[in-house]
Amino acid sequence: MAFHNRDRKDFNAGIMYMVIGGFFAGFATNYPMGTAVRMGPAYFPTILGALLVFLGVVLLFRSFGATDAELPTKTHWRPLLCIIGAACLFAALIGPAGMVVASAVMMLVGAFGGWDFRWKEQLIGMIVMPAVCVGIFYYGLGLPFKLFPWS
Amino acid sequence: MDFSSVFSNLILGFTVAMSAQNLLYCFIGCLLGTLIGVLPGIGPVATIAMLLPITFNLPPIPALIMLAGIYYGASYGGSTTAILVNLPGESSSVVTCIDGYQMGRQGRAGPALAIAALGSFFAGCVGTVLIALFGPPLAELAFEFGAAEYFSMMVLGLIAAVVLASGSLIKAIGMIVIGLLGGIVGTDVNSGIARYSFGVSELSDGIGFVSVAMGMFGFGEIISNLGQTSETKHIEVSKVHSLMPTWEDIKVSIGPIMRGTALGTIFGILPGSHTVIASFSSYTLEKKLAKDPSRFGKGAIEGVAGPESANNASAQTCFIPLLTLGIPTGAVMALMVGAMTIQGIAPGPQVMTQKPDLFWGMIASMWIGNLMLVILNLPLIGMWVQFLKIPYRVLFPSILLFIAIGAYSINNSPFEVYMAALFGFFGYYASKWGCEAAPLILGFVLGPLMEENLRRAMLISRGDPSVFFTRPISLGMLLVSFALLLMVVMPQFQKKREILAEADD
Repeated sequence: MAFHNRDRKDFNAGIMYMVIGGFFAGFATNYPMGTAVRMGPAYFPTILGALLVFLGVVLLFRSFGATDAELPTKTHWRPLLCIIGAACLFAALIGPAGMVVASAVMMLVGAFGGWDFRWKEQLIGMIVMPAVCVGIFYYGLGLPFKLFPWS
Repeated sequence: MDFSSVFSNLILGFTVAMSAQNLLYCFIGCLLGTLIGVLPGIGPVATIAMLLPITFNLPPIPALIMLAGIYYGASYGGSTTAILVNLPGESSSVVTCIDGYQMGRQGRAGPALAIAALGSFFAGCVGTVLIALFGPPLAELAFEFGAAEYFSMMVLGLIAAVVLASGSLIKAIGMIVIGLLGGIVGTDVNSGIARYSFGVSELSDGIGFVSVAMGMFGFGEIISNLGQTSETKHIEVSKVHSLMPTWEDIKVSIGPIMRGTALGTIFGILPGSHTVIASFSSYTLEKKLAKDPSRFGKGAIEGVAGPESANNASAQTCFIPLLTLGIPTGAVMALMVGAMTIQGIAPGPQVMTQKPDLFWGMIASMWIGNLMLVILNLPLIGMWVQFLKIPYRVLFPSILLFIAIGAYSINNSPFEVYMAALFGFFGYYASKWGCEAAPLILGFVLGPLMEENLRRAMLISRGDPSVFFTRPISLGMLLVSFALLLMVVMPQFQKKREILAEADD
C-alpha cells in the first residue's frame, strides 16, 4: 500500500467529499436538531453530511487499493483562471460600468484562456458581441440593464 | 382507458399550441435550440440553462413550449454535428457518429441527415401519443401517493439515475448528496432559519440551480474543452450533396426506426435513464439483427436510423414522469422543473387537472416542435454547416458572455454570476476527478422536496421509519432501488457500464 501507488482521482474525490460532508454536518450543529417526529433544520443535512463523509472514506480506501493508478490530467491553469476571472470581472463591472464595458472586458479576458489568441478576431468579437447582446437582451427582451458607465 | 377524452384533450391541446403566439415561440425555441446545439461542446443542459432566462418574462404556456422546443432543437443539433463533423454535440449522439460520419465521408451525409430527421419525427409522434394515453392514468395513480411514497420514489429516481448513468457509482451518489445538500441551502420552511447562508441575504433565498447548471455545464465544460485541445482543431465538414435518401435507404431504415422507437420509449419512461442507453441499445440490437454486421461502422444507414429514433423517443417520453409525477429523471428535466417553479407551477399530477390547457398544450406543441424540426432543419442544413466552420477559439468567448448575461438576468444581480463562476470552478475539478455534474443538478432540485416529504412522512408515522416499508407502493419502489444497486455490482452489468462510460468521455 505504497502512497505513490494510489488512484489520485479517487483520492482527491474522496477528500473533497469528506471536506464538504464534514462541513455541512459540522455546521449543522448551529441549528436545532429536533426529533425524528419533528425534524429540525439540522436533521436532514446532518444525515446527508455523514453519508457524504462515509462515501469519501470509502473512496479514500479504494484509492489505495488501486492496481492501475490513474493520474488525473494536470490542472489547466490558463483556461481555468481566465474563464473564472472573466466571469468575476463581468459580475464586478456590470453594476458600476454597465453591460457594454463588462461584456467587452469579459470577452477579452476569457479569450486569453484559449490556445490560439488572435488580436484581430478577438477585437472584432469584443465590439460585435456586446452590440448583439444589447440588441437581443436590452431592446429585444426588454431586460433592465445599465448599458454604459454614465447611463 | 377512455379514448374519447384523450381525443378531446388532444384537441384542446392543439387549439392552445396552434395559437399564433405559441407557434411562434415553439419555432423560436426550435431554431435557437438547434443553433446552439449545433455548436460543438455545448450539450442540451448548457443550452437550456443558457436560454432559460429568455423565457422568464413570458407567460407560463409559451415559456414552457419554447423550452421544450429548445430541448428538441438542441438534441437534434447534436446529431447534425455527429454526422457532419464526427463531433457528438451530446453523449447520446456518440453512436450516431459511428456510422453517420462514415456515411458523410462517402458523400451520403444528406441521406443520413434526412433519415435521422424522419426517424426522429416518427419517434416523436409515437412519444406524443404515448404521453397523451398514459399521462392521465399515471397522474391518477400519483394522487394516491402520500409523503412516504413520494420520498421512496425520489430515492428510486436518484438511484436509477446513477445506476444507468456512466462512471463510478460511489462518486455519482456522492455528487447527488452534494446536490441535495446544496439544494437545502436557504431559509428552512418549517423553522424559518436561514441554513448555511452565513448572513448573505442572497443565500437565504437558496442557491439558484440555474446558475449552478450554467456554471458546471457552461463554464466548467468550456474550461475542460480549452484544456483538452492545445492546438487548433481542423474540423472537416462533410459536404451535403443531396438530401434525398434512395428508396433502398428508406426500406432498410423502416425496421430500425420502429425498433429504435420502441426501445427509446421504454428507456425514456424508466426513472433516471439516459438517452445514451436508448441509442446504444438500439445500435447493438440493429447490429445483432443485421444480415451482414460487418457493414456497421462503415456507413450502415441502420446505425443512424435506429439510434436516432431511440434517442428522440426517449427524449420525448422522459416528460411522462415529470408531467405526471412531478419527478425529474435527468438534468434536462430538472431544469424544466426549475422553469416551471419560476413560472409558479408546482410540477406534479395536479398540473393536468388544474391547468389542462398548459398540460395538453405542451404535449401538442411537442408534436408540432418535432414537425418543425423536420421542416426547418433539412432546408437549413447549409446554414448549420456554416456555423460548424466557426473555430472554437472565436466561439467560446461569446458563449461565456451569453452564460454571464443569462446568469445575471436571473435576478438582475451579479451574485448569480459569481455563483456560476464558483460552480464552474467546482465543476472543472469534479469532472477531472471523475465526478459527473448531472447527478448533482438532479439532487439540487430534489433536495428540498425530499426533505419536505421525509419530514411529513415521519410526522404522520409519529417518528416510525418503518412507514417506508409497510406501505406497499413505497416498499416496492425501495425494493426496485435496492435491486438496481445489486445489479451494478454484478460483473456482466459492470462491463456494459464501462462501455457507456468510455462513450461518454
